[in-house]
Amino acid sequence: MNAPETRPVLELAQVTRIHGAGGLAVHALREVSFETYAGELVAVMGPSGSGKSTLLTLAGGLDQPTSGRVLVEGTDLTAVGSAERAKLRRTSIGYVFQDFNLIPALTAGENVSLPLELDGVPTRAARAAASTALGELGIADLADRFPDEMSGGQQQRVAIARAVVGDRRLILADEPTGALDSVTGEDILRLLRARCDAGAAGVLVTHEPRHAAWADRVVFLRDGAVVDEAGEPMAAVRS
Amino acid sequence: MRRHLLGWRIALRLARRDLLKHRARAIIALVMVTLPVLAVVTADILIQTADVSPTEGISRRLGAVATAEVQIFEGRQRVTQGPDPLRDWVAGDELSRATTFADVEGVIGHRSKLAAPTSSELVVRTPHGREAVAAEQADVTAPLARGFYRLDGGRWPAASDEVVVNQAMRDRGVGDTLTIVDRDGTESSRTIVGTIVDATRRSGEVVVGLPGTLPRLTDDGMGQGWLVDGPPLTWSQVQRLNDLGVLVTDRHIASHPDDYPDSMDDGSGDSTTLQVAALIVVMALIEVVLLAGPAFAVGARKQQRSLALLVASGGTPAQARRVILAGGLLLGVAAAVIGVAGGIGAAWLLQPVVQRFNASWLGPFDVPWPHLVAVAAFGLASAVIACVVPAWIASRQNVVAVLAGRRGDAKPTRAFPVLGVVLFGIGVLMAIAGASGRGDLMVAWSAVVCVLGMVLLVPVVVSWVARAAGRFPLPVRFAARDAVRHRTRTTPAVAAVAATVAGVVALGISTSSDEKQNRESYTPNLVMGDASVTPDYGYLDPRPDRPTDWDQVADVVREHAPAARVSPVVGVGQTSTTSWVNVVFADPARTAEDEQISPSSSSSALGTDVVVSDGAQLPSLVASYFSADEGVAETLSAGRAVVLTSDASQTRLDQVAIHVETSDDDGPTVSTPAVTVPATVLYRPDDDVAPLRAILPPSVARRAGVPAATVALDVAQPHLTTEAQKDLQAALQDLPTPAGVYVERGYQADAYTRIVQWVLAALGAILMLGGTLTAMFLALSDARPDLATLAAVGAAPRTRRRVAAAYTFVVSFVGAVLGMLVGFVPGLAVTWPLTAEGYSGSDHVGPYIEIPWLMIAVVVLGLPLLTAVVVGLFTRSRLPMVARVG
Repeated sequence: MNAPETRPVLELAQVTRIHGAGGLAVHALREVSFETYAGELVAVMGPSGSGKSTLLTLAGGLDQPTSGRVLVEGTDLTAVGSAERAKLRRTSIGYVFQDFNLIPALTAGENVSLPLELDGVPTRAARAAASTALGELGIADLADRFPDEMSGGQQQRVAIARAVVGDRRLILADEPTGALDSVTGEDILRLLRARCDAGAAGVLVTHEPRHAAWADRVVFLRDGAVVDEAGEPMAAVRS
Repeated sequence: MRRHLLGWRIALRLARRDLLKHRARAIIALVMVTLPVLAVVTADILIQTADVSPTEGISRRLGAVATAEVQIFEGRQRVTQGPDPLRDWVAGDELSRATTFADVEGVIGHRSKLAAPTSSELVVRTPHGREAVAAEQADVTAPLARGFYRLDGGRWPAASDEVVVNQAMRDRGVGDTLTIVDRDGTESSRTIVGTIVDATRRSGEVVVGLPGTLPRLTDDGMGQGWLVDGPPLTWSQVQRLNDLGVLVTDRHIASHPDDYPDSMDDGSGDSTTLQVAALIVVMALIEVVLLAGPAFAVGARKQQRSLALLVASGGTPAQARRVILAGGLLLGVAAAVIGVAGGIGAAWLLQPVVQRFNASWLGPFDVPWPHLVAVAAFGLASAVIACVVPAWIASRQNVVAVLAGRRGDAKPTRAFPVLGVVLFGIGVLMAIAGASGRGDLMVAWSAVVCVLGMVLLVPVVVSWVARAAGRFPLPVRFAARDAVRHRTRTTPAVAAVAATVAGVVALGISTSSDEKQNRESYTPNLVMGDASVTPDYGYLDPRPDRPTDWDQVADVVREHAPAARVSPVVGVGQTSTTSWVNVVFADPARTAEDEQISPSSSSSALGTDVVVSDGAQLPSLVASYFSADEGVAETLSAGRAVVLTSDASQTRLDQVAIHVETSDDDGPTVSTPAVTVPATVLYRPDDDVAPLRAILPPSVARRAGVPAATVALDVAQPHLTTEAQKDLQAALQDLPTPAGVYVERGYQADAYTRIVQWVLAALGAILMLGGTLTAMFLALSDARPDLATLAAVGAAPRTRRRVAAAYTFVVSFVGAVLGMLVGFVPGLAVTWPLTAEGYSGSDHVGPYIEIPWLMIAVVVLGLPLLTAVVVGLFTRSRLPMVARVG
């Protein structure tokens, strides 16, 4: 279990997140634990308000749990400062959101190279990496377009490219197909699946069961707690 | 380092793209920063151009050729001078003998020389009457005189009866012959043979003749100056000449004052100047930052999603902050460049306009680059500073909330309002300290501190307003709630208005209090609207040896003012031009102690301070000066004298001793024996300025040997305009025994004060409108989705107008009220010491505090209402359609 290959890329241990305090306290997550391994795509399902998105923001270090631990590639996000968490987002974690969330003032290529540039990678090298990432997703020709010059599907591909650029191993996707038609949505999921098959660990938040079919495993959340898990953890399969 | 620069590169790229994408918002911010830069650059260039520097001015003083001017001081004393004697010199020990030009040549060697042009006043006759103009006398065709005058038409004067004049003199309608009035009143004529342009004077009248051909009515007492050529003088030569009592203006030395020692310059005043400059810069910086603030705040808000994404992609808060700051940096650089370039252009275009209002010729177009670099840096700094708070707020936002489409503002900290109260308190204490003697600068800095404190309090006040708005109609409620929801945009807008109003109120209080002091401490010489005519000989010398022909004078007055009642004022007649007569009143019991009876001060607009009258026809000023129960007319008709005193104990006297002293320059010469006459002594307090010292009935005047004669004409209500007064004056000056007229017009406010007040009011209104309207524009564009929702639920189109008007009113009214409160602090503090002391010798009770309530009402209530109405009328009323998601 301690070998690098078998260590989970993302591990949530007894994570609880409470918003507010006293009578106004809202339990967004209650003692949630689960792991995601390299090459594995885990779907998180549940009704609206069940804590799916909170789980992703905690996994990405954008928010901190009230209790419990979040480990990304062995680093405990609850034990490091915000600068270190920001660095992890630049080097290990990639986000894909429902409404694409590309920075409108940057071209596709610049959006993809953004995490690298923020990390201090020289512009030329960052652009080269971005262009490779775009190429792998079959959209190298879009590099110089601005977000508002692309279709929703194209924007989401760029967002995936941004999430994986620079060899990042954890992709957190929050309803990535929510704003797309079903054909394009399937394309995006195929891409995500492919990235995971190529060695990344993916967490896919969705409320559509047919999308969950692309995942290796499905975690069901209700009222902030895990109520069911379908499928075997990759580690169990491998071991 | 490299990584740091890379971080800025992304920030700059993001900021640049954002600015290009949201041009309207960028232009608002740009204009707010550019305009002050442009205005300051324009003003600076024009001031530098109008200011004749030592280097520029020296050619006007030495002409084009001379090396130096040497002037043997008539006082026969050693002198000490700085590099330029025009700026500073002092006389020292007396010399044993007068210095000659040969002594000068002993120091500087033999050189060609020319008498420097002499300047004096000259009285000429024009179709308007007799006028005083400037006259210069110089050997205008000599090589050393080159550069003093430029011949614009005709030829140079060649004979003693020829002169040249400038265009301003020609414009007075003198034709080709100039009539000159000499000191003794004789007139002679000169032929005008040419028109010249004087090197210095532009609008004043100038007459130029050959040396010794024009009367010199005035003399500066400095002695003749000599222009010399040859090599430049050395500083040691200058010092040796100073020891001979010779002042030296050397072209090189005077135009490079910093290269030579200046024993006269004690360096004082530098730190004050620096402080004042720092103060102005700080205040301007605050104002510009506040004005530009809303645009940057909205910009930062619009970018909040991009910034949240940046953070989600691994950007640090510092990197997010940098994006906003980069926007300020880019706009600041653009504003600096555009402002400086535009300012240079505007100054170039305005140069002729400024020349028209300037009596002297402007210097060459002068672009003070070091100043402009500083102003450009100021523009850049104000843009960046305006971004600091939005950037800080943007970096603190809740990324998760923003990404989820909610507002991600961090909670406002309680510390800021507390700090605001503390700062405001410190400001008030500083103002009190300044008012109680620590100086005006302290008061000015207190204003800065108060304004900063107020800025921190604005969010609290706005939230109170929003809370109170629940009872108001929808548009006002919407506007107030919107204002508090968008604190980052509202706060600088409200604060900008408040800072402006604070300045206007503070300066308004101090100027109107100052004016009140001037008005109340003004002592009229006559009853308002009345005039007096007294002998006025101008430059006439010798004076006519006969007394003024008052019938003739009265005829001229009646001709010019037919409606006026003209009556002679009889008083102590001055019988000679070389001596004067003084009437002395004393306590008859104590004449030995020479204890005189007199008021503490008296004016003599009536031409005398002792009036002779039987009480029947007192001049109106005299009649109105006494109250009815003092019974002055009755006292006089009963043959008793009326004498004023500042010593209350003397009012018990029933009679006074009178004697008449005749004095000349060396003191009293003749004194009549004292005569005791019946009198009523009236008390006047120290601060009273009496129009006379005593009134004597004719019988008493005769007994006391007082030479009674008509000394003036009392002209009741002549209704003379200033123009008519000028005509009357010219006509009176033309009489064989010339006279002058004085018309009491009451206190005349200084034109300069008026102009300053108007400029202040206009500037304040512009800044207030600018700040309010930009905030309103930004608020409307921000409120688009909300207005769309309003439309969707059935709001009438005019709702948009009403919301815009209400928002405008909330911002400007809250700002104006806050500003008024803040403005009172420095306003009162600076007024207190300013008006507490009267002029020396008078004991007027100060301080004079006058609050210009009308002006404050206009600024605090009128302007916000007007702006709101204008906005309400001119805002597009069409409501936007419900915005599509995304």
